[in-house]
Amino acid sequence: MKTLPSAGTTQNVDVPGLKKKQRFWAGIVREKYLLLMSIPFVLWLFVFNYLPIWGWTMAFQNYKPAKSFSEQKWVGFDQFKTLFHDHDFYLVLRNTLAMSVLGLIAGFTIPILFAILLNEVKSMPFKRVAQTITYLPHFVSWVVVAGIVTSMLSLDGVVNNLLIWLHIIHEPIQFMAKEHWFWGIVTGSDIWKETGWNAIIFLSAITGIDKELYEAAKVDGAGRFRQMWNITLPGIRSTIMVLFILSVGHLLNNGYEKQLLLGNSLVVDYSQVLDLYALNYGIKIAHFSYGTAISMFNSVVSILLLFTANGFFKKFAKESIM
Amino acid sequence: MKWNSTKTLSVLTLSSILLLSGCGGGNNDNSSSTSSPTTSTSDTSSSTSSPTTSTSDTSSSSDNTSSPSDSADSTKMDTSPIAFSFFGADISPNWNNMQDDVGKAITAATGVTINAEFDVGGGGGEDKISLMAASDQYPDIIFSKGNLGKLVDAGAIIDLTDLIDKYAPHIKEIMKDSMNRMKYSLDDQAIYAIPTNGGVNNESFDATGGFQVQLRVLKELGYPQIKTVQDYENVLKEYVAKHPTTDGQPTIPLLLNGDGWKRMITVTNPAFIATGAPDDGEYYVNPETYEAQLHYYRPEEKEYFRWLNHMYNEGLLDKNSFVQKDDQYQAKIASGAVLGLISQEWEYGNAENSLKSAGKNDATYGHFPVTLSDQYQDHELVSAGVDFYGISITKACKDPVRAIQFLDWLASDEGQVLNNWGVEGKQYTLDASGKRVIPDDVNNAKVNDNANFSKSTGIGLYTAFAPHYGDGVKDSTGNYYTTNFPEQIIASYSDAEKEALAGYNATTWKDLWPKDLPVKEWGALYNMQVPTDGEYQVIYTKTQAIVDKDVPKVVLAKTEDFDKVYDEFIADLDNAGAKKMGEMYTALVKNRVKLFTGKDVQ
Repeated sequence: MKTLPSAGTTQNVDVPGLKKKQRFWAGIVREKYLLLMSIPFVLWLFVFNYLPIWGWTMAFQNYKPAKSFSEQKWVGFDQFKTLFHDHDFYLVLRNTLAMSVLGLIAGFTIPILFAILLNEVKSMPFKRVAQTITYLPHFVSWVVVAGIVTSMLSLDGVVNNLLIWLHIIHEPIQFMAKEHWFWGIVTGSDIWKETGWNAIIFLSAITGIDKELYEAAKVDGAGRFRQMWNITLPGIRSTIMVLFILSVGHLLNNGYEKQLLLGNSLVVDYSQVLDLYALNYGIKIAHFSYGTAISMFNSVVSILLLFTANGFFKKFAKESIM
Repeated sequence: MKWNSTKTLSVLTLSSILLLSGCGGGNNDNSSSTSSPTTSTSDTSSSTSSPTTSTSDTSSSSDNTSSPSDSADSTKMDTSPIAFSFFGADISPNWNNMQDDVGKAITAATGVTINAEFDVGGGGGEDKISLMAASDQYPDIIFSKGNLGKLVDAGAIIDLTDLIDKYAPHIKEIMKDSMNRMKYSLDDQAIYAIPTNGGVNNESFDATGGFQVQLRVLKELGYPQIKTVQDYENVLKEYVAKHPTTDGQPTIPLLLNGDGWKRMITVTNPAFIATGAPDDGEYYVNPETYEAQLHYYRPEEKEYFRWLNHMYNEGLLDKNSFVQKDDQYQAKIASGAVLGLISQEWEYGNAENSLKSAGKNDATYGHFPVTLSDQYQDHELVSAGVDFYGISITKACKDPVRAIQFLDWLASDEGQVLNNWGVEGKQYTLDASGKRVIPDDVNNAKVNDNANFSKSTGIGLYTAFAPHYGDGVKDSTGNYYTTNFPEQIIASYSDAEKEALAGYNATTWKDLWPKDLPVKEWGALYNMQVPTDGEYQVIYTKTQAIVDKDVPKVVLAKTEDFDKVYDEFIADLDNAGAKKMGEMYTALVKNRVKLFTGKDVQ
């Protein structure tokens, strides 16, 4: 640290003779305020995201509360063996993946479509009102949404009444009791709740596109749909890619509120997800090690998925978040 | 946007520091350390604690703020202010932070304030208590219901045997005939919980279970005999044919609640109730051999489910029964459109209370001991003896002596009367002969506006804190401890209810129930803690998931498919290891009978 550069002349130019180490320290000194500012956030990240990983040791023990770490019994991969031998585990894994993938597909295509269509609307007041109305459900809790969905789909609910009135069906259908429809109902209510909110980011990406491109396209004789296809969509491509890769990483952590609140004992074979499984067979019966093993599996698979998706896009679409 | 850089920086740093420190502290200490208890231990330990003195003194004024001159009476307890944290595994929506009349009186007498937290949602405390065990952070006092085993296995609960012996004369007096029943298990005979979720020597004067029928139905049909499921079905059928709508809504003949654990109360428990078996949770115990097995294996119960299936196919059972959530179920009952329930009064009590508040007394329910056929007797009222969920003190409690003294005070006559009757001059008065009387306006508020009544008076909010005598037991003044005695029960009935009872020549619903059933030797098995380690819990959870899933299928099956679906259900239970689990449970039951009765069971 003896070569403290006093003025901004030397460090801006990449002097080949300067050693790597020196340049490193110089960089630190130059950006000391920025680094200081980031310290609290790094700490925060460390405390909440890295310290808890220590708890993963529980997955390899037969953990008993109230015993100290050294007194715990180590069991190696026994918890994982039990996990992979459990028939129910594959069932909940299937449900989790199915609902996540459905949610991912619907959660991308529909908001993008919606954002593009909304972008084409010329009337400003209408656009604003439409946007506000569609993103408001995002702020409604799942508890309320589940209540609305259940009563709308009940035997004497709006949907059945409408279908009967239109003579599409003769007997009311008990939607919530049909196990094969459960994934659809979850995805559908997710779309209703989140479309407007997810569209916001795409709308703002669209505003970033250079207006001259559209004018140039018009001059070349491109119609509305041509402009959407050749300018708007490519313009927000990188946003779409980044968001998509990030969501792939969350495939297994899709939450459980929807399934818990919309599910019932009749559809449990299709509604149970990994998180609920961990709750029932891990925490509720005090088998903490087993619960940890499930969540560890969850995290490892999530990271793998994230890297796979990223690698895939890097190779074929030349986009990457890492 | 212009940023004042230093200001921004400092705001950012400050907020992040706040964030960090907010979580760093963990629990902000259960405040029991704030008040230092002034040595009450040394002098009291020598006394042989006779419960003689304090009885019959109900004047609520034991303000002995540590009078030093009064050294003779060594059992007098410390009443300096102290706070205990508490967790209750039952919901307690009317809890008012001890700002109610009873709560204030308790604090005045004992110096104790309770910082209570109760379970939310369906109640039961399962998740919350598991997390307590995992994080090793406990409240001072806990009412853990069925989750005591987890806490004991985690070493969180202190053994109360010595504390009760030294500091709790009143608890000892109440529990004197049931000391064995407080012990945890044959191998671990410590006392971890004092039974509080029921009354000692309770003699029930009223029946609140069975099958329910709305009073308006009974009245219109001229009080028909309702003894078998066939009678019950006929009554519902006849009435709904006459009145297909109620207040413009379609009338619902029969409604069950399939949401979560309430499935047991309204769907699966009635299967053994209607076939003459006593309540042993998910098990049926053979009274001769003590063999335990999931009660679904009983062939009689298949016939009960066949009847439910029939009710569904007849269109009498509400089609939403297994789809709706608990709140929707309660809302339907509160609308007054539901003719029949198969439940317990406490399960739908809030909905019924709102019917009462709305003045729809004829839409409330009467109770009938309905059985599958004449050959069975309803065994709901079989006494399990003293065996209830109880209150425990955890290792987190800094002053267990004060805690046990607090519980003991609540178990004293003064405490019990306060809990059950309220404050003298407010919620009850003494007449010339020294008899406790509840004024009419108070009783009116209690019956018709129960939520607000318990919120402001606190009556009934503290019963789970300490052991207490049940209905029908009299104190030294000749009054009943509780407010449930025949005259009072009848006074609490609405006119519609009285009319219906008169139609059956009965004074209470209990008169319809069979009498003089023998006490169960193995107590209440739902209160028997099972090992949290090993296979048992996993198999049990699996079988419960199967019951949750398959019983609705059984009930909603097509008539011709019923046998097939039911056999599949039983096969699923077999595959999950139910037989093996039954054997493990049998061993536990036998140990329990040994512990409770001293019998040698093979």
